[in-house]
Amino acid sequence: MEITRREFIKTSAAAATAAAVGMPLSGTVQAAAKEAEADWQWDKGVCRFCGTGCGIMIATKDGRIVATKGDPDAPVNRGLNCIKGYFNGKIQYGKDRLTQPLMRMSNGKFDKQGKFVPVSWDQAFDEMEKQFRKAYAEKGPAGVAVFGSGQYTIPEGYAAAKLMKAGFRSNNIDPNARHCMASAVVGFIQTFGIDEPSGNYDDIEYTDTVITWGANMAECHPILWSRVSARRLSNDNVRVVNLTTANNQTSDIADTEIIFKPGTDLAIWNYIAREIVKRDAVNHDYVSKHCVFATGPYDIGYGMRGTDKYAFPAENDTQAKELKVKLDKWEAIAQRKKEGEVVEQKHRDKPVAHWLISFDDFKKAVEPYTLDFVAELSRGNPGEELASHKEKLKELADLYIDQNRKVVSYWTMGFNQHYRGSWVNEQAYMVHLLLGKQAMPGNGAFSLTGQPSACGTAREVGTFAHRLPADLVVTNPKHRARAEEIWKLPHNTLNPKVGSHIVKIMRDLEDGQVKFAWVQVNNPFQATANANHWIKAAREMDNFIVVSDPYPTISAKVADLILPTAMIFEKWGLYGNAERRTQAWREQVPPPGEARTDVWQILEFSKRFRLRDVWGEKPVAGLKEEGYADGTLPDVLAEAEKMGYSPDNTLYEVLFANAVNKKVKWPDPVAKGHDNHTARALGEGWFPEKALFNEYRKFGVGHMHDLAEFDVYYRDDVRGLKWPVVDGKETEWRFNAKYDPYVKTGDFEFYGPALKALPSGDLDKPTSKEKTSLAGKAKIFFRPYAAPPEQPDENYDLWLSTGRVLEHWHTGTMTQRVPELHRAMPTAQIFMHPEDADARGIKRNDIVVVESRRGMVKAVVETQGRNRPPKNYTFVPFFDEAVFINKVALDVTCPMSKETDYKKCAVKVYKA
Amino acid sequence: MVEQLNQLDGIDVHHRDDSSGRIVITQEAEHIHDEVDGLKRIKALPHVVLAEMVYHCFEEDDELFEAVQPELNEQERIAVIPPYLNK
Repeated sequence: MEITRREFIKTSAAAATAAAVGMPLSGTVQAAAKEAEADWQWDKGVCRFCGTGCGIMIATKDGRIVATKGDPDAPVNRGLNCIKGYFNGKIQYGKDRLTQPLMRMSNGKFDKQGKFVPVSWDQAFDEMEKQFRKAYAEKGPAGVAVFGSGQYTIPEGYAAAKLMKAGFRSNNIDPNARHCMASAVVGFIQTFGIDEPSGNYDDIEYTDTVITWGANMAECHPILWSRVSARRLSNDNVRVVNLTTANNQTSDIADTEIIFKPGTDLAIWNYIAREIVKRDAVNHDYVSKHCVFATGPYDIGYGMRGTDKYAFPAENDTQAKELKVKLDKWEAIAQRKKEGEVVEQKHRDKPVAHWLISFDDFKKAVEPYTLDFVAELSRGNPGEELASHKEKLKELADLYIDQNRKVVSYWTMGFNQHYRGSWVNEQAYMVHLLLGKQAMPGNGAFSLTGQPSACGTAREVGTFAHRLPADLVVTNPKHRARAEEIWKLPHNTLNPKVGSHIVKIMRDLEDGQVKFAWVQVNNPFQATANANHWIKAAREMDNFIVVSDPYPTISAKVADLILPTAMIFEKWGLYGNAERRTQAWREQVPPPGEARTDVWQILEFSKRFRLRDVWGEKPVAGLKEEGYADGTLPDVLAEAEKMGYSPDNTLYEVLFANAVNKKVKWPDPVAKGHDNHTARALGEGWFPEKALFNEYRKFGVGHMHDLAEFDVYYRDDVRGLKWPVVDGKETEWRFNAKYDPYVKTGDFEFYGPALKALPSGDLDKPTSKEKTSLAGKAKIFFRPYAAPPEQPDENYDLWLSTGRVLEHWHTGTMTQRVPELHRAMPTAQIFMHPEDADARGIKRNDIVVVESRRGMVKAVVETQGRNRPPKNYTFVPFFDEAVFINKVALDVTCPMSKETDYKKCAVKVYKA
Repeated sequence: MVEQLNQLDGIDVHHRDDSSGRIVITQEAEHIHDEVDGLKRIKALPHVVLAEMVYHCFEEDDELFEAVQPELNEQERIAVIPPYLNK
């Protein structure tokens, strides 16, 4: 019987696989396959891991997941799964799964120095409420914070953002997605006036040139890479170029690999732009109809604190560059200045300001970026002849410029996690727009995304310190008014002051500015660079940290209270992937023990606060320039009463379980027999995920962010839809009249509304205050090369970059379920060049210390692995909490996007 | 290619499509890290362009999985854990 069953299963698996990849099968095989799965219930789902958004099918039996497979009907992955996707069915069955709330206690009471003790949900919420009230009373809305996530489902992110912004009137909610794509967002908003890509993954099959920049697609986006590989192998004309700072697996399929020195991508783009200009390859028709030229200040700092008050002594020299920078030879040439000139960073506070320039100025700006200059600056492999590097750069320019070629540029963290990440994003569009190769099938610059709903939730819902749903921002009075209308809030409830971004929330904890923080769906105490500061902040400062987590991560362990949390297939949810595709799944299995969803936790917590607690006058510093009484967010309780609210209404009643939402009933036929334990635990017969989605949808419909109705995403014949979804039809390529219903005039229209009136100026400054309207146009930015603020020197003599590896995802919470105290050893290695190892008396597999100005870790040396760095360069993945590399990494951020540069700092490596 | 695959432990070749060069196999293993290792083994074979997982069955698998890193048992212990986390 056992053998028969096993054989059945294998037949079934093989048949499903063959079907997924389109191989013909006999009727007998198909019938046998069906029989094997007779008592299983299959349902569609979405992969929990990266931003690719692969569809998976999940089989359940008796309340357990028994199998998963790539969804053959999913247009993204067409039946395939990568190895991470393969874990989807098992991630919730780790041995150390948290199943009850845990609080630090001594003698039956909360004690920050106590040990974790299991408590009831009531006890947990009681202490959380008490601590929240204390922080809120002392510091006001700025004293509390939420670490949000690009892994939030849409309803989770929406509930969290609404509770913080509309309820507590605090904009201190910011996602870990800040670490992965904030620079991409700034690039989109600045260039197009609206967030998210014009193209989609089908560009891969339409294009004949794929250029990857700082994206190891083979390891980090393997399913998209399988599509690129298939395209390359099936067509001799297709070319693939991999631009990277270290050899990686993406180079295996690439025709050309260009190894460049960290940070010099800024110069390489300008070289290509200069070639386009010199060869008169500008698509003048496209550019004159659809584009303008712009630039901004160069002296914008590096996103560090402006004071050394909190710096370790060894950090002082790097920190000082935040205020003053001495230009090196390369920067001087690139910025048309003098070597050695000391530049005060005057525009640290206004780094995103920009103005129009003329095409002549643009030409003047790119003039220094000759092949000779850029090749010498950018050569990243000292072992490569300069002539060879030069040849490759020229070939790169040729490929972009060739009129008979379509080109897509893909990038991930190499661009986004960059001290000038927003600039380098803008530069990608600069080249594509100059050539008129944007927003059409097979042509376009495309930011790949790291997290499953960085787009769908963090960006579209707006769980950022400055955002509201559908590209609205808290600083714009009209935007706030619109959100207040949809949310039925009194006028001036919303706080106009941008909150703290995720790195700043950490700094605020250390500085004593934030006293209460709640971590949701992420692991910031492992994932934030310069971690020694933040671990200290969590444990030594007088504050209260709540962490909602399914597993005991580093963040959970430094917390004061841990809330056990349901995982992906234990709840209803929707994600949005990198190509604007919104996808949904149902609850498949119940969560273990007392674990509950983030939605339930947020809604339960909201029951504990009444309007009188939060909608009275609140202290918020610096509101004068927003037109408010200085230092005060007004009392809106009187107006609330006019709207029919009572000061005794709870936030749960007003924001969530209001009359409209409670009409969305649970049970609902869309469930098709699936449960919803969140709805049951709330116990009031409403369907919170659906009600919240319906409400959220109002922001986007008719405003360029149209989503379909909730039930549509659950239909058997739907595998996600790319927004805007207008009249039931998704949008394949935005801004292109053939595909996008929002284009009203002409063949292309870059209709994004943000930042579309600008003053004019020269390359150094705006020269007139009068603003020109740029409706319908995209901006081609000139951005110069700037040097990384920390580079190898005599003491710290090697580059360090961190990143991902194939088998693990982010901090390894789900892909690496090993309680660290039971763990045999660290598994993250340091990849380095064999000659660099030799020079330090180090052999492969030796244990070494990796030390920076900020901290040190031990790791095992790998000199022959799959990541083969050039000399002077090392790489350590960040998934492993036993090799806590973020203690070493630098918290420099792009000053515009506030996204950390995890890719460039200086370390020394020596034998342990 | 098919012969090479059939020689690997726990691997059965089920379907092949010569026109597209695609092969469907099943792999059986005791633990999830053996499965991961198994995939790496296949990827390392000559002439393999891509190998990906498609279908994952663990119906009769009552064991909770502990680790996914096959290198885990090949290296010696060093743990660099912040002191706070050891409390």
